[in-house]
Amino acid sequence: MNHSVSIEIGSQIIMLLAALMLVLQLLLVVQRMLLINIRLFALQSLMLTAIATVVAYYYNATHVYIVAVLTLVGKVIFLPWLLNRLVRRINIVQEIEPLFNAPTSMLICGGLTLLGYLVARPFTTLHKLGNNTLAIAITLLLTGFFLMINRRKAISQVLALLTIENGVMLAAVALTTYGMPLVVELGIFFDVMVAVMVLGILVYRIRESFDSMDTSKLDQLKG
Amino acid sequence: MELMLLLIVPLAAGLLCFATNSRAGWERLNLGAFAVVAGLAFKVAGDVAAQGTVTALGGFLRADALSALVLALIGFVSLVCSIYAVGYFRRDESAGKITRAQLRRYYVLTPLFVGAMLLVPLADNLGVMWVAIESTTLASVLLVTFYNQKTSFEAGWKYIIIGSVGISLALFGTVFTYYAGVGLPGLETHGGMNWSVLVGVADKLNPQAMRLAFILVLLGYGTKAGLAPMHTWKPDAYAEAPVPAAALLGAGFINCAIYAIMRFDVLAEKCLGHAFPGKLLAGFGVASILVAVPFVLVQRNFRRLLAYSSIDHAGIMVAGLGFGGKLGAMGAALHMLFHGVTKPLMFFCAGNVQQHFGTPYFRKVHGVMHTLPWTGGLFLVATLAVTGTPPFSLFQSEFNILSGALAADRGWMAFLFIGGVVTIFAGFLVHMSKLSLGVPAQPGPRVAECPWKLSAMAIVAVAVIGLGFWLPGPLYELVRQTTQIIGGAP
Repeated sequence: MNHSVSIEIGSQIIMLLAALMLVLQLLLVVQRMLLINIRLFALQSLMLTAIATVVAYYYNATHVYIVAVLTLVGKVIFLPWLLNRLVRRINIVQEIEPLFNAPTSMLICGGLTLLGYLVARPFTTLHKLGNNTLAIAITLLLTGFFLMINRRKAISQVLALLTIENGVMLAAVALTTYGMPLVVELGIFFDVMVAVMVLGILVYRIRESFDSMDTSKLDQLKG
Repeated sequence: MELMLLLIVPLAAGLLCFATNSRAGWERLNLGAFAVVAGLAFKVAGDVAAQGTVTALGGFLRADALSALVLALIGFVSLVCSIYAVGYFRRDESAGKITRAQLRRYYVLTPLFVGAMLLVPLADNLGVMWVAIESTTLASVLLVTFYNQKTSFEAGWKYIIIGSVGISLALFGTVFTYYAGVGLPGLETHGGMNWSVLVGVADKLNPQAMRLAFILVLLGYGTKAGLAPMHTWKPDAYAEAPVPAAALLGAGFINCAIYAIMRFDVLAEKCLGHAFPGKLLAGFGVASILVAVPFVLVQRNFRRLLAYSSIDHAGIMVAGLGFGGKLGAMGAALHMLFHGVTKPLMFFCAGNVQQHFGTPYFRKVHGVMHTLPWTGGLFLVATLAVTGTPPFSLFQSEFNILSGALAADRGWMAFLFIGGVVTIFAGFLVHMSKLSLGVPAQPGPRVAECPWKLSAMAIVAVAVIGLGFWLPGPLYELVRQTTQIIGGAP
């Protein structure tokens, strides 16, 4: 097969997967059942794994394969399992009414997507594999912020943080052509795992001492 | 070798504390480890001042003058905090406020926290630096929630969520910096994220990517440094954490965050010229000073007052960096040094007052001088020092930064800067004079002060007063070289 053709196919696969990540993100924004949210996040991470695998295949880069495996083990299997367990233990299944209702959230996220494409425009070229996914990475970051403001349950905020992280990793894999040095990827992976565990401890403690997981009740400290 | 030991010693101390089960053991391990860390940090600082940059592990760890300055500060702050912590937690334990498990948590996590802080200035790779800064957050969040109160969880939650959002922006910025160099010769190998490599080719980096990267990094690490408007976690975290941990955050970690901003500023200035990063930095810096002003004036809680002072000082450092030129850069470096040395004294005195009177509110505490003469007196000294009153050293650095602003022809910025700093000085003086002097609410007898806490305070006080008159040769040399690095001068 001609190399330039194969790069083109790779680029399209990556684009498709990245678009799916965005769709899953939008579903996360409107879905209020926590267990389904966790599954959506796991699926989104699976797309990221697939993107990393495609990049690794086309550039024949061993350390990107390692990144793919780490993402699969950490974000597709381990973290969703951990969060699932936490949700069952604190026995809360559904997010309460968010700040903005579903149609308004959708509109805002549409605007954020537009903004993402505007910011990414100067960097979008078709010469390199996956450079055009930058807009999606920035959109994931922005909608992640929105998700964090919009939701009030502590667990939803953890999920929002993880989707922001997915956006950054998408940029790292796609933008820099072959990912970052392995030691950095390993460090980031380790930090994310520990962060979620620490957040899990906090969620549990907050639930215990406030009898609620609603972060809008965390309002005693002022001035 | 020293660079590696700097990371291994705190890590080992943390793990050993985990395996130990006696208070004496924890205290000795912490004191010993931090004494060694401080000694090593000072030795590295001396070496760098005399012979220039040192590296280890094939360039993975690298310490130039800027790193050495931050290392020495972390070494100093963590040592005095560990001395203070002994007295502080013994008192908490005898008052029945904390359990053995909590005590262990403090003594295990603190060395890990300090170890992560030490990695920040040592890592040459900007990605590893990011990992280190994120690790400090993770190691310290359970120190913020130490007292297991509702308010501690609220503070801890804000601390980790706001911090993590900020830090993910910084990671995005780091990725963009890496991308800005993609395609340049010499960056395709493992060194592509190394600061020492990037700085050599900074003028060839993609300017558009670098501009976006710098904005993201400034927002991200600015959150960790507590620049307005991303500062909202700071008052909560500083007021809820136990005093030694708050002092580590406010006098130690703040330097790591500012350090990261400085590293990226050097790259951005080489790539884009001074105007763009300079304007952003000066804007955020002066805004932080101005945001702190009203909160200082109407503050009712002296622990939170310290946090607003810290926001103010982060603003001053960043503003100095933004005004640029030799004066601004030198002011920023000096301010980092003097602030880091002075701030622990404020925290320690505030801790003594809070432990003795059982409240952090100004209205319930008057005339500390009568019951705790040393604490009351040193609190006033620290207040004058930290607000930049001559002859204390912070006056010198603030004056430098102000001159930098005028030299860069930023009259308005200079006006706002000096207005903010002077108003904060006035606010502090009113609060603190009532607290320290004044007539006590219930006149009590003079109380003997804890020797551990007093000796930690004495060490800091000697350093604060000494630095007002004399800057030792190696320290001056470090500041001079740091100015060259961040000022971009030949």
